[in-house]
Amino acid sequence: MSDTEQSKPEKRGMNRRTFLKVLGGGTAALAVGVVIGGPTIVREARLRINQAFLSGDAPTSPPPESPFVWIEIGADNQAYLYIPKVELGQGIHTTLAQIAADEMELDWQQVTARQADTERGFDPQLIFTFGSTSVTSLYAPIREIGATLREMLRVEGARQFGLDVAAVRVGNSAVFVVEDEQRRLTYGEIIAAKQGEWVLPTTQAALKPSSEFRYIGQSVQRVDLRDKVTGRAMYGYDVRLDGMLYGAVARPPQYGATLKRAAAGDAESQPGVFAVVIQDGFAGVVAESRRKARAALEHLDLEWEGGTTITQPEIEAIVSVPREGGTLIQRDGDVDGAGGRRVEAAYRVPMAIHAQMEPQAAAAHVQGDRAMIFCSTQAPGLTRERIAAAIALDEQAIHVVPTMVGGGFGRKTGVDVGVEAALLSQAAGVPVHVGWTREEDTRYGYRRPPAANFLWATVSDAGEVLAIHHEIASSDILLNPQVGSAFLGTVLGTDPLAAYGGLIHYAIPNRRVVYHHCPIPVPTAYWRGLGSFPNTFAIESFIDELAEATSSDALDFRLRYLPEGELGERFSTVLNAVADASGWHERDSLPAGRGLGFASAYDRGTVVGVVAEVSVTDANIRVERVWCAVDPGLVVNPDGAAAQVQGSIVWGVGSALIEEQVIANGMSTSQNFDGYPLLTIAQTPEITVLPISSGDTPVGGLGEPVVGAVPPAIANALAAITGRRFRRMPFRL
Amino acid sequence: MQLSINGRAYEVDAEPDEPLLWVLRDALGLTGTKYGCGLGICGSCTVHLDGVATRSCVTPVSTIEGRAITTIEGLAQLVDDVEVLHPVQQAFIDEQVPQCAWCMSGQMMTAAAFIETNAAPTDEEINVAMGANYCRCGCYTRIKVAVARAAELARERGEA
Repeated sequence: MSDTEQSKPEKRGMNRRTFLKVLGGGTAALAVGVVIGGPTIVREARLRINQAFLSGDAPTSPPPESPFVWIEIGADNQAYLYIPKVELGQGIHTTLAQIAADEMELDWQQVTARQADTERGFDPQLIFTFGSTSVTSLYAPIREIGATLREMLRVEGARQFGLDVAAVRVGNSAVFVVEDEQRRLTYGEIIAAKQGEWVLPTTQAALKPSSEFRYIGQSVQRVDLRDKVTGRAMYGYDVRLDGMLYGAVARPPQYGATLKRAAAGDAESQPGVFAVVIQDGFAGVVAESRRKARAALEHLDLEWEGGTTITQPEIEAIVSVPREGGTLIQRDGDVDGAGGRRVEAAYRVPMAIHAQMEPQAAAAHVQGDRAMIFCSTQAPGLTRERIAAAIALDEQAIHVVPTMVGGGFGRKTGVDVGVEAALLSQAAGVPVHVGWTREEDTRYGYRRPPAANFLWATVSDAGEVLAIHHEIASSDILLNPQVGSAFLGTVLGTDPLAAYGGLIHYAIPNRRVVYHHCPIPVPTAYWRGLGSFPNTFAIESFIDELAEATSSDALDFRLRYLPEGELGERFSTVLNAVADASGWHERDSLPAGRGLGFASAYDRGTVVGVVAEVSVTDANIRVERVWCAVDPGLVVNPDGAAAQVQGSIVWGVGSALIEEQVIANGMSTSQNFDGYPLLTIAQTPEITVLPISSGDTPVGGLGEPVVGAVPPAIANALAAITGRRFRRMPFRL
Repeated sequence: MQLSINGRAYEVDAEPDEPLLWVLRDALGLTGTKYGCGLGICGSCTVHLDGVATRSCVTPVSTIEGRAITTIEGLAQLVDDVEVLHPVQQAFIDEQVPQCAWCMSGQMMTAAAFIETNAAPTDEEINVAMGANYCRCGCYTRIKVAVARAAELARERGEA
């Protein structure tokens, strides 16, 4: 295989000085950590930065200081891949292991995927597992590292055989002699026999051609399921440390309320109480059981002050599109001068919670000048940063172990429960576990920001769309100071994550998008899909309304205004695929009370087409079937991709039909699943997923892009059935 | 008090009204049974009491002394020191059902009890049997397929 002998110049940004770390010679394990640099943020004009965010080409963080991909191969030939992303259920440990194993020519039976933590393979920004970016951001770097390791092993293997490099080949975690395949050295044997230092090649080894992929593109089974079906997988809520006690924390009656006065009261004398911890703005109890800790909270002497008394109508008044102002985030042509007949509509998406099945959980053991944290977190770097600030230790002194996460969806940033466990452990001097109740999780997390969208377009007498204008109003996501950066807002003038999915990609000659930041005194932040959820709902509903206003078929309309070039071709393939699979063209033959709705999405590189079949009987809306075609560029694991899409559809149907969090007197009215029901198996539509690979590289994610296209497909089906537009979620007849 | 869990006797010191869930998880370290809501709504905490699927978060521990408790840790069997998965566990892997899997112990315990009573369930019967177990990752379509597959596997094993 001569292709692997070729080399090419070193890639931009690859920092080789810190590339290789070899575990002490005697241990016979090759461990490689890699640093890959990226372009640093260049401060450009506001509009350009926003467009970079919105187009998915986000400015990357400055190059990390520590290796972020860590691979160990021991003498037993087992390869341990420390996966630099957190397993939330999306299958990322499997997917990234597939990529590494393919390029390294590993025997899949000898691959063990492990979670990277602050000691191995950690980069505080990169490990933040959100935004459906794991595969796109790591596909090339992991392959480059894998190719380099593979070539190092091949060269060393040839040397140990006393042969030319061209006389050996690699495969199944071993180096073979081409002329005599009985002669082989496993990677582990090569490493064990290696004399002296490993030296990194100065050039990047060539990557495998895609025609030789063994694992990439295959539905490899998930690596985490055996532990999950036997109950052995360890989540944040499951962590048990020697001598561990349980913590509970006092919560305010209203959002934003702070402790005016706090005293122990008679909490210390309550049964099982080990310590009462009262610090600046914080009151908690450590006890021998969760129950006793929570019971003792009632005996604290607390007085709260401040806080909001806001109610739902007030929130909706704040989060609305004003007459003027806002930040321009897209401008093509001259919208105001385009002329034509005006069509307009306004849409609204309420707040919703994540309702991830595992509530917030962390265990902490703070011992003097160091701390150990086990946390169910998507953001171990942020968790560490906030804990360091809270307990006044250096970040380097805090070891964070991300556990298996029982559902993330944006909620698990670790900044609340991780800090609480650390504060309690530090004060009490014992290991402490804090696990939130469902009531705490329902009320005291942050939630999906409420959003209001307003669109208008102008149409010529001939039925051409001349201009489109979109205004987005939303509360915080990235600008939530607890989990993001309020400072960024002052740089960008927008919340870039709330504006995701808000640009108009349709080839309408004149386009303008304006964003309005509408902060509310109720915490809002990351929620599956980010801004693409409300924005896709608004745009794709409006496109359906425009199609109707111009007497066009909803599919034909979209095809007519496809973006130019490769993106347009990808759209055309996806939209036609979902139309054909769903019987879109034969929809007139559906019985009365049934209809199809079409929607698409372009979110962070992924092209989506969705058709929903909906039935309406009496007062009941039922989503019967959903078809989804999705093209993220290259699908690494088709079955895993299908699972993400199926989950996204269930998520989207739940939001479209059921979910809404309501605020009264500054607090969520729902406390648990009795007041916030989720979609059940019986309400789940039949789902057909069509994963499409349009290229040889992943260009978009799969965890979120589909979510936003589901509600508009349902709304558009409802419009087809009832003749009425459904512009506010959840939909009510 | 004494509890019989997965065929083993445990001496437990717990308040009588302590829910079984927390005795399992925090007192005994059997953390495979999950907490979801504490109200018996979501089903994450489902275990078997004498073979019947039961929500452990609303089951006071004092009410079940002497009854046979099975948790997810006891669903597979050891045969000659080899772990043989229950048909439901095997089917949930075969169909690649779980995502985050926090709800899955409860889903599988519910399904395992169900296929004991219905060896060849229809989709509708599965919807009813599994209808009160939430899965936020949205694995429902696969759960449906896997429960039917588990029933089939159990029949095959019974015939073997």
